Amino acid sequence: MFSLKITRWLMGYVRFSVLGGSPERFFNACARSGACLWEIASRRNSGACVAVGRYRRLRSCARRAGCRLRVRERHGLPFLLYRTRGHRGLFAGAAAFAAVLVVLSSRVWCIEVSGNSTLDTQAIRLALAQAGLSVGTSKSDVDTGRIEAKMMLLFPKIGWMNINTQGCIFEVSIREKADRPEIFPQDRPCDLKASATGQILSMRVYAGTPLVKEGDAVVEGQLLVSATVEDSFEGSRNEHAAAEIIAETTHPLEVRVPLRQTVRRPTGRSLERKSLELFGAHIPLTLSGRPRGDYERSGVLTDFRLFGTVLPLSLYREQWTEMRSVPLSLSRKQALGRAAGQLENYGRSLPEGTKILSVQTKDTEKDGTLVVSYTVRCEENIARESEMLIKS
Amino acid sequence: MANRENLLDRAGLGMPSHMQINGNTEAVVDGCGGVLEYDTDVVRVRVGRMIVRFSGRGLAIKCLTADSLVVTGFLTGIEFLL
Repeated sequence: MFSLKITRWLMGYVRFSVLGGSPERFFNACARSGACLWEIASRRNSGACVAVGRYRRLRSCARRAGCRLRVRERHGLPFLLYRTRGHRGLFAGAAAFAAVLVVLSSRVWCIEVSGNSTLDTQAIRLALAQAGLSVGTSKSDVDTGRIEAKMMLLFPKIGWMNINTQGCIFEVSIREKADRPEIFPQDRPCDLKASATGQILSMRVYAGTPLVKEGDAVVEGQLLVSATVEDSFEGSRNEHAAAEIIAETTHPLEVRVPLRQTVRRPTGRSLERKSLELFGAHIPLTLSGRPRGDYERSGVLTDFRLFGTVLPLSLYREQWTEMRSVPLSLSRKQALGRAAGQLENYGRSLPEGTKILSVQTKDTEKDGTLVVSYTVRCEENIARESEMLIKS
Repeated sequence: MANRENLLDRAGLGMPSHMQINGNTEAVVDGCGGVLEYDTDVVRVRVGRMIVRFSGRGLAIKCLTADSLVVTGFLTGIEFLL
């Protein structure tokens, strides 16, 4: 029924009234002449609908039935086109629309990058643009295989990459490589050496020959457990040494905090500049230019989405904040506080399992700088695997 | 003429017309010879040698061709007049 309505609208139809005479005779004559009438109204408001091409032929039927016809309504595409005949701009607009549609459908509208966790999306987009895939590029010019190969060479961290095309949207799927942990093969012999200078507190040797004992003082790089194991028959073999050697170590740390510093602080004046990015073109929305002076800039790029699909339209917001250099004098207490912050960071950077036993602090002031020397006593596993190279 | 063109007639079934009534709201008449009277409460059509009179409320001819028509509305009676 809907398709019939659409067909009638496309072909055009008129709703007419039948005045005077015998409407029944008129309807019969119309039917016999092959005209298909619909929505036939009865005597009081006698009338019907007929295809626009058939209407003229109904006049002879009306004459025979003694009726007069009057068009009440005109519907359909032919009348719509007739009404717009004087507006050439509409046709020009339609032609321009078709042309723009054809041109735009042959271009890359947007690029979606997914799957990257450590690699920066903007860096990937930039590299893609350099490889030949950017917004506005002709789709026929994009060689996905070549771009994939180029990107894999450019970013060694990419383990797998695929570029899928969905109309004008290019989806770049990336899988990053997992870093391979540094593991000495268990079948290859290795020694254990001291990773730091200290005194051994406890030892647990699982494989290899221990060369030190509890209470011994060792220096960094000293051989702790040898891979060579002698048996009771005075024969020897090489093993993959394994041990946990806990030692008390000392780590010196020197932190210098200038007591007179120059820091940059915002003055409170800021300026926001906005621009639209449409098909890679920047359209400024703010008329003010770049401010002169000491400013810091930060920007946010917001992509517009429609039903989850990225559109080739994005808003770029730039925040310019005026800064000024302010001289700052730190008191001794403040300087020690900053040094303590650096000590905390150092504690976090120590190997896993390391316990800080004590910290000795000594500070001196020299040339306007507070020099804080820390001596950190730790308890840590100092056994470090060292590959044993054997010439064959 | 209309009867001769009737599909049923041409099929040799010997029936000059065929009528299908859907509930009391629609009647499809195939092989009708023309509309004799048309109003909102009465529709009379020629079917072969008979005249079929549809009576009811809000009657309307939905579609009309050379040998068929569709009457819609609230049908209350159908009479066959010989």
